Amino acid sequence: MMWGAAPEASAGGRVVPVYALTNGRTRAVGRDIPIESLVSVTEHGRRGAVALDIEYRRIIELGERLISLVEIGYALGLPVGVARVLVSDLAESGHLSVHAPPPVAAYGGPSQEILGRLLDGLRAC
Amino acid sequence: MDSAPVDAGPEAGISVPTPLKILVAGGFGVGKTTMVGTLSEIPPLNTEQAMTEVSEGVDDLAAVPDKRTTTVAMDFGRITIDDSMILYLFGTPGQTRFWFMWDELASGAVGAVVLVDLRRIDDCFAAVDYFENRRLPFVVAVNGFPDTHAFPESEVREALLISSDVPLIWTDARDSELSRSALVSLVEHALTRAA
Repeated sequence: MMWGAAPEASAGGRVVPVYALTNGRTRAVGRDIPIESLVSVTEHGRRGAVALDIEYRRIIELGERLISLVEIGYALGLPVGVARVLVSDLAESGHLSVHAPPPVAAYGGPSQEILGRLLDGLRAC
Repeated sequence: MDSAPVDAGPEAGISVPTPLKILVAGGFGVGKTTMVGTLSEIPPLNTEQAMTEVSEGVDDLAAVPDKRTTTVAMDFGRITIDDSMILYLFGTPGQTRFWFMWDELASGAVGAVVLVDLRRIDDCFAAVDYFENRRLPFVVAVNGFPDTHAFPESEVREALLISSDVPLIWTDARDSELSRSALVSLVEHALTRAA
């Protein structure tokens, strides 16, 4: 099955060019979704999935458990850029919720509070 | 299916963990994939990313597209810090021609671990330059290839041309404690920048 194929098989073996899936769009419309954003399915997504194309349905299945955009790309054997467009479509239509990374502090990275929690967590592991 | 710390959406009223990312950069064959694999709780995944690359120095002929698609291999792994935080690790290609990919990965990142093989230090300059210019916190981690401990820190710093405020550490990408302590050093360094 095409969509479940391992990524190694996708590069040369895909019949439809990956960008055809997105009608040539390489940027998500409306909102930018960072690569580490987490995605989950909404109630609307659960109910409405059956009417959608297969690649959208696969993403909704994956979103049953919280999953990052980069992992969705991997699971589908798609470049992240393509996965981003598809996820963006599903977010626009209310099938998915996208949970973006925390806003950055003035220096460009995560806040002191978040870094402190990360440091504690890494030391405790 | 990989396990996720939370298995319901926000509609269930459960808070969603905060996703964070750290980059593991450095030259070809320096141990990026190994380090991501050592640290990750899932088998490290390798994705081939199709990227549009603007070609330079090509005559401006209307019939010749000025962009072409190239493929870049990228490793990624994951560490669940706790119920409220997930850390993603990205092993990124070391060549400067892939800067467009680094931009996306570096945006909002905690920082980067730049792995160095002292036998081929030139390979790390592209990454060091990039993170310095972008002002992304980074640490330089000398990967434990044989004989690397023979060099004193001052000589290594001089050879690497890194400023005194950039932490320089010795690591072994195959060792989970040493690799984790590289991350700890990076986050400590990032905290000084965030303060």
